[in-house]
Amino acid sequence: MQPTDDTTYDLAELADLADVSPRTVRYYIQQGLLPSPGARGPGARYDRAHLDRLRLIRRLQREHLPLAEIRRRLEELDAESVRALAEAPASYRPGSSALEYVQRLLAGEARPSGVAPARSLRATLQAQQDATRVAPPAPPQAVPDRSQWERITLAPDVELHVRRPLSRGENKLVERLIEAARTIFRQEGP
Amino acid sequence: MIPLNVRTDRSLIRAAARSRRYVTVRFVAPEAPPRAGRAPVNVAIVLDRSGSMGGEKFVLARQAAERALAMLRPEDRFALVVYDTEIDVLAPSTPAVPEAKRHALSALASIGPRGGTDLGGGWLRGCEQVALHASGELVNRCLLLTDGQANHGITDPGELARHAAALRERGVRTSTFGVGSDFDERLLGGMSDAGGGNSYFLDHPARIPEMITSELGEALEVVMRDAALEVTLPAGARAEPLQRFRWRHIEGDNELRVELGDLVSAQEMAVTIAIELPRGEAGETAAAGFALSDRDHATAGGPVELRWTWAGHPQNDRQPRDRTVDREVATLYAARARAEATERNRHGDYEGARRVLRRTADRILSYAGNDPELHRIASELLAETETFAAPMPAMAMKAAYYSADAVMRERAPSGRAKRGDGSPPSRT
Repeated sequence: MQPTDDTTYDLAELADLADVSPRTVRYYIQQGLLPSPGARGPGARYDRAHLDRLRLIRRLQREHLPLAEIRRRLEELDAESVRALAEAPASYRPGSSALEYVQRLLAGEARPSGVAPARSLRATLQAQQDATRVAPPAPPQAVPDRSQWERITLAPDVELHVRRPLSRGENKLVERLIEAARTIFRQEGP
Repeated sequence: MIPLNVRTDRSLIRAAARSRRYVTVRFVAPEAPPRAGRAPVNVAIVLDRSGSMGGEKFVLARQAAERALAMLRPEDRFALVVYDTEIDVLAPSTPAVPEAKRHALSALASIGPRGGTDLGGGWLRGCEQVALHASGELVNRCLLLTDGQANHGITDPGELARHAAALRERGVRTSTFGVGSDFDERLLGGMSDAGGGNSYFLDHPARIPEMITSELGEALEVVMRDAALEVTLPAGARAEPLQRFRWRHIEGDNELRVELGDLVSAQEMAVTIAIELPRGEAGETAAAGFALSDRDHATAGGPVELRWTWAGHPQNDRQPRDRTVDREVATLYAARARAEATERNRHGDYEGARRVLRRTADRILSYAGNDPELHRIASELLAETETFAAPMPAMAMKAAYYSADAVMRERAPSGRAKRGDGSPPSRT
């Protein structure tokens, strides 16, 4: 049954549709990731927005984002964007980016058949680059028309603005930047 | 839902100063579903066929491959790679049907040990084979067996570890098997550490078939993929795990995420966390939440809440201690000390090795009270001081390295997973 916009569900139905346990749903509500339903107890009804949100949370968890990060992202999104992201085709396929990574390395290592000469400087530099380089650009994915900016506090009067969603690699760079910035402010701060 | 046993060493914290406390979270992974329900594996077995693998070693490696393939079913995939300075993909990744297995093994039968060692190249070809068919539904792993050093191609251990980490992030894990006394344990250990896999030391070639099949057996029994412990910390607290697990700390929101890798049927796991708690009002409490997740379950266990109460110095000094947590902590610090002493010994810093062991033993004794187990942990360290403070032969150094490493990864001394017997996850 395709959910329409005014369909409502009870906890068991919601959990079933999102492929999580009812306990998980309650946990997310407790953690502020899902709004609580209108009523409480057995009469509580959840709507399409709850379902979309739940599906998106699950998806983001699969990509190893911690709950705090998921909460932050959800805060910036409206219901439409949540739905779009929850339904976007999966862009994370572990095999393809592992394959790209390895094949790039091996190409840098390519040598003629027979006894291998010592690695060329060029191959060494290529391999170095590949080792320090972050994830290859993510394959094109469905991005909502509206991008969302996230504000991250670095110090009481200093913020970093980041446009979401970012690729995995960019996320890692941002994390490092935040760590470094916060260290600086902690060390030099009042 | 998996029950979590969560304990802290002391439940009072200091109102007037920051406090350091420890938390141990123990649980047992579920029993495997019937074999038909398990996730298929996608493995590559990479074998060193360099000259030094001559004699019985390669014979045993072949035997290991044969036994490993026998464990697989048509829904699994395998690839076979051998390397010296040349890399040969004997069997490109293929479903494990009988004909493919026969073909691969007969190709392997015609291979004998030869030249130098392009370990990096061989391993990467194996990873490539896994990556060609990797998906989120499979357990994707590359198994690397060697008795020697990397002396061709990529030789830098740091570089190999970085690539292993990159591949782990992209879903392909690496486990390593070092045979004999000549391989570089830091190179191999570094690769499986960064690669999110397991590390095995085979002190005798006879162990090759047994350990390779054990690792593959575990891959076939993974019940929790990409397991993680998620800890919600109180405001102002900082924390990190004592074991060698990858972890992330999101400072602003005070969440700690500890990556536990793939867990197998009935695996016993314990994570010990050192946590620094802020000052507060006497009588009030600070709480932390602990939950388990994996690839398929947002919440696989918990959340369980733990509370500390702020109190004055005298009450803090007088409070009882949970000895089960103290013992976990002491065991881990002892392993760290041995690992550090091994490295110092390797560099000829015997005085430094002695110092680190003595200092750690003293620290343990400072809170041991009259607990016999804590005293035993400390005296064992002291008893080993002179061993670490004199030149160690290669085999002894390897044994020390892998033994400390196993403790710091919550694995059994052999390198295998620790298995529960179904009893509640509590030591006492």
